[in-house]
Amino acid sequence: MVKLKAGSTQSSGEGGVKRLRKIPDSAPLVGVLLLMMIIFSVTSEYFFQLDNFKNVLANAAVTGIVCIPSTLLIISGQIDLSVGSAAAVSGMLLAQVVNHHGVPLGLLSALIFGLVLGCFNGFIVTVIGVNALITTLGGLGFLYGVALLIGNGQTLGMKNFEWLGTAQPADIPLPILIFAGLAIAGSITLRYTTFGRSIYAIGSNPNAARVVGIRSKRVIFQTFILSSVSAALAGSVLASQLSSGDPNAGLGLELQVVTAIVLGGASLAGGRGSIFGTVLGLLIVGVLNNGLILLDVPTFWQRIAQGLMLIIAVSFDSIRAKLNQSRS
Amino acid sequence: MSNKTELIRLEGIKKSYNSVEVLHGVDLTVNAGEVIALLGENGAGKSTLVKILAGDISPTEGVIRINGAEMSELDVYRARDLGIRMIFQELNDAPSLSVAENIFLGQWPTSGKKVAWKELKKKAKDVLDRLEVDIPLDVEAGSLRVGERQLLEIARALIQNAKILVLDEPTAALSNVEVERLFKVMEQLRAQGVGMVYITHRLDEVVRVADRVQVLRDGNSVLLDDVRAVSRDDMVTAMLGHSASENVRPTSIHGDKIALRVSDLSDGSNFSDINFSVNEGEVLCLFGKIGSGTSEILECLFGLRRITSGSVEIYGGGFSPKSPQDSTAKRIGYLPADRQRLGSFAIRSVAENLSVSSWNRMSRFGFLKKSDEEAAFATWQQSLNISARRGPGQEIATLSGGNQQKVLLGRWFEAQVNILLLVEPTRGVDVGARRDIYEIIRKQAAESNMAVIVATSDYEEVVLLADRALVISRGAISAEFSDDLVQANKLIAASS
Repeated sequence: MVKLKAGSTQSSGEGGVKRLRKIPDSAPLVGVLLLMMIIFSVTSEYFFQLDNFKNVLANAAVTGIVCIPSTLLIISGQIDLSVGSAAAVSGMLLAQVVNHHGVPLGLLSALIFGLVLGCFNGFIVTVIGVNALITTLGGLGFLYGVALLIGNGQTLGMKNFEWLGTAQPADIPLPILIFAGLAIAGSITLRYTTFGRSIYAIGSNPNAARVVGIRSKRVIFQTFILSSVSAALAGSVLASQLSSGDPNAGLGLELQVVTAIVLGGASLAGGRGSIFGTVLGLLIVGVLNNGLILLDVPTFWQRIAQGLMLIIAVSFDSIRAKLNQSRS
Repeated sequence: MSNKTELIRLEGIKKSYNSVEVLHGVDLTVNAGEVIALLGENGAGKSTLVKILAGDISPTEGVIRINGAEMSELDVYRARDLGIRMIFQELNDAPSLSVAENIFLGQWPTSGKKVAWKELKKKAKDVLDRLEVDIPLDVEAGSLRVGERQLLEIARALIQNAKILVLDEPTAALSNVEVERLFKVMEQLRAQGVGMVYITHRLDEVVRVADRVQVLRDGNSVLLDDVRAVSRDDMVTAMLGHSASENVRPTSIHGDKIALRVSDLSDGSNFSDINFSVNEGEVLCLFGKIGSGTSEILECLFGLRRITSGSVEIYGGGFSPKSPQDSTAKRIGYLPADRQRLGSFAIRSVAENLSVSSWNRMSRFGFLKKSDEEAAFATWQQSLNISARRGPGQEIATLSGGNQQKVLLGRWFEAQVNILLLVEPTRGVDVGARRDIYEIIRKQAAESNMAVIVATSDYEEVVLLADRALVISRGAISAEFSDDLVQANKLIAASS
């Protein structure tokens, strides 16, 4: 607050005010991230190494690919919980088709699946008018069943398709590059396009968005498609990394995605959030997971930590909303 | 009246919000078996005063005496215990519960720990009979008409043995028959010794039901007398602060080409067979009480509400408003009465709020330049005199009501609309900024040849803003005035 006031008198330009307003939002996140890195550096000799950082990023990249369109959805006031199972189905589908018809058709079928699912979710939410949480929770359930069905409950081995998950052009894992590309595209979309700005408008006041003539349903429909296609892409990357389709591969992905986004400052009530914040949130989740693994903490503790993290993040969202209310 | 017991005495009530005083020491007394009509323009302080009476907010200064005892701390629960009941214009019911349950909302009769359904239904039936309304007890309250739901609110107050009843414009949504029933019930309550504060804009109702009338203006009590001792003109003059004829009418300048014509328009429930036309550059006001159908007509023209019969033409071509998207594409703009819910993007910047309706025009291949938005804001900031100290990036919610409204008007000016529909354009706007807004609207209409239709329940607004006025009463046009004949007393007489 104090900083903001000082800044507003110094800088007449909008950029100055905006930069100062951003500090209170992301500063705590950067602080938490640095603190975690210091703690893990001290407690584990493997943590502070280039290879390990690459590892953290590569693991976070799969989640990150889904996080970008999901950030758009959450800013617009919607949510997509079906991404975990959607990724699993895509991986299974990919493995099945690659083994019989080759890589191009395999990738195509996974992406088409994403497209169809996105249209389905978008249709149920915008045309039928069902709450997005419920719609995609249902999707999460039935798609998991579909993933099991494809492999008859088993994982499907996949041959000759490792490059998507493991190639390292210029010594950087390909998934990281895909994620970085999506993050940049997402950030530009949100800031500089009418599509992205409409997303903020819809999220901050859906009724007013309608009155000013924004085609809200179309925008939300398209964002659901982006979300499902990105889940299909993430599922393909994951299957490629594992050299197999695993029905359990996407388990809990939706949890990590929502945690990273909300941690990054997006409001579940809509209207607030940024790709930059989401990336920070993602790194926090990624570093935590990595650190716990390096410290040999049993996996069930990692689950507990992830769940608690989401609750803490959402609580911060509510507290922030209350503070804003009392300020104005 | 002196033989009656005094139920309430408010003395020297002052109330400030953020060091702005809105009530400057107002007295109010209510005796048993008496109806006091509380009059005043929007923003005069009526609702603040009754909220203090209901314990909703506490006064900055002043004494509250109830039944002779001084109340140092009056909160909502205490007020309820003392038998103070409020009936608001807005509904406070649970639409998915039954009629019977709604009447007992929160006060279900019980036997042991269970709700005593039989007793509940019997009592509900009794009270509805007393109101002479025939509403089935088992239907969902949400399926009833607004007027019927309002009667349920009244039934609820009756059940709870109100000793002091505050009615805040209860007749706005009622039909004539229902209004008569309400008045009958008020007679019964008066006979039982209930004291009532009746807030209304309808002067004919004041004469019908009230014993005394009190007028507030700008936070002061300016008139308090026996109803029989004051004339309608006295009341209007007290509300306005000057005789109604002193309002200076704007000079009328407008084109003679018809921009919009409406023929036999009906929406099936709120209004029917409405006919009018507006010329380019003309400001037409639809004046009527809240619930008379004025705002619904504009909602229909903008595509927010379905038209059941009749037709709309713009510039001679047929137009059937289906959705706001269609209407904005046809260069029609709409300013809703509920700014928070339908108008502003509270957490977004003023520049964005202003240019949102022009994004399609401003963008190239879907890309927007922030500098374009800021330039648009700078232009309108200057010509509309918008005070936003932190510049184009300031969140709109941090502006005053008047400045927010200017931003939302600028939104449609920037979008270069040909037809602008305004619903209660100065609601929630401080008195000082109102005249600014009237001037802005008239200037823009004249300069850009824009046709403006205003739905309003504020007669002073009509006098200061309109080239021509149509008075709407219970969904039909009851009078038309133009030029010098647009006068407050004529409007009020025609709308009652």
